[in-house]
Amino acid sequence: MWRRLPALGVIVASLALLASSCGGDHNELILGATTSVQDSGLLDEIVRSFEGVTDYHVKPSVGGSGEVLEKARRGELDVVMTHSPADEDKFIADGEGLDRRPVMQNFFLVAGPEADPADVRDAVTVSEAFKRISDSRSIFISRGDRSGTNVRELSIWGEAGITPQGQSWYQESSTGQGQNLIVASDKDAYTLVDSSTFTVFEKKVALRALLTDTANPNIYTVIRVASNKHDNVNSAGAIAFAEFVTSPAGQCVIADFGMEEYGKSLFQPVGRCPSANVGG
Amino acid sequence: MDLIWDGVTEALRLIFSGNGYVYEVTFTSLLVSGSATLIALVLGLGIASFLAFRAPPGRTLALSAFNAGMALPPVAVGLLVSIMLWRTGPLGQLHLLYSRTAIVIAQAVIATPVVAALSTAALQGLNPNLRLQVLALGASRWQAALLLFREARLSLLAAGMAGFGAAISEVGATIMVGGNIKGSTRTLTSAIVLEVQQGDFETAIALSFILLAVILGIITVFTMLQQRRPPA
Repeated sequence: MWRRLPALGVIVASLALLASSCGGDHNELILGATTSVQDSGLLDEIVRSFEGVTDYHVKPSVGGSGEVLEKARRGELDVVMTHSPADEDKFIADGEGLDRRPVMQNFFLVAGPEADPADVRDAVTVSEAFKRISDSRSIFISRGDRSGTNVRELSIWGEAGITPQGQSWYQESSTGQGQNLIVASDKDAYTLVDSSTFTVFEKKVALRALLTDTANPNIYTVIRVASNKHDNVNSAGAIAFAEFVTSPAGQCVIADFGMEEYGKSLFQPVGRCPSANVGG
Repeated sequence: MDLIWDGVTEALRLIFSGNGYVYEVTFTSLLVSGSATLIALVLGLGIASFLAFRAPPGRTLALSAFNAGMALPPVAVGLLVSIMLWRTGPLGQLHLLYSRTAIVIAQAVIATPVVAALSTAALQGLNPNLRLQVLALGASRWQAALLLFREARLSLLAAGMAGFGAAISEVGATIMVGGNIKGSTRTLTSAIVLEVQQGDFETAIALSFILLAVILGIITVFTMLQQRRPPA
């Protein structure tokens, strides 16, 4: 029966080839992005626009900021778009990343039930709001996954002088941004969320935006992975991507995103979009 | 419950309005899971023939491994295949991560033990004298194997369907090695996960029904094939 083995080999190989004809090219650019960018739908839009003006094929690798930066440290990514300032500082200080450029921003807000048992609405700062949640022992859902949102949340607990871990009212969902909101909504709980994700989910959850942290914008930056540390990094592609998202064309993609469906930009571009009809 | 009904009507609307996105992810699912199943069939039948007919030493141990392999956690397979395909990994130079081929590999790894274990059981269930008799009548090993496959076709087709089911319904490893890229590695299952994450439950349910319909359609064809009267 082994005489026919070569024929079988040819069949298997051609199948593999057929399947790979749509991927596995060498012009690939691996982009590390966070769940909030994918869950809002912006990632697909940025990738589509970028691929329209270059020859690169973008392969997004999506996870929390912690996961994305860790993969970048291993040389698995070419360029990252994250929103976790302290982790990014360390990433750059360690020589793993370079050329950090701000791309866009939104705001963190405390979302919670309409009834607002902890009176978060009357708080002046988010750390005061967190203190009220802790004092009233209201349920708080944390991402608990070292994402940018989770890191910000933990630093707010730090500012408020509270250690929430281990408290019965503090629960970690370990899910993406959108899923986390649904869990919080289901439990009539408070949570910290970025304004873009909240806008997308506003009609689908029974939560209200109670307090927005306008003092500390949530800034998404693009960082190139240091090519001197890893042989495989596509440096030229990373530069092209960083240039594109910060260029007027890229900034307009961001400014326009959400206009049609929600009547406002989901993310505010940090630079100028000449054609934007609102805000710029 | 309304959501389920809305999902069904949305599914029908998506199918009949010729929605390009739905056809694209369905095509991707069928292509990668079909390829993975074919690879699993070739490898699985090879392994099963070897274990059942040759009765190599350590067969029970190998069989235990394949039987346990039917419960291989997809997320662990996804992680291992990812690490192998990482740019810094042993197969990194192939640039296969986040491609359809990567998904085919992961799904083939998941489906092969299913096909191998069930096929071995099927072939072992045949009368052992049958093979000796066929060989004594002058059949080559290859002809004997084909004849025995035909004899066990009911169970072998069931093994193939189980392998296909494991492949097409898989999502954890699929997202991990494929990256859920629109237009390339987004399958029906990974599209469902994304819709859920985006809170678009209606579309998620619609895609779920489409996935179920696709599976039902294909399995029905194979079941009809299986139940057909054997050629005389």
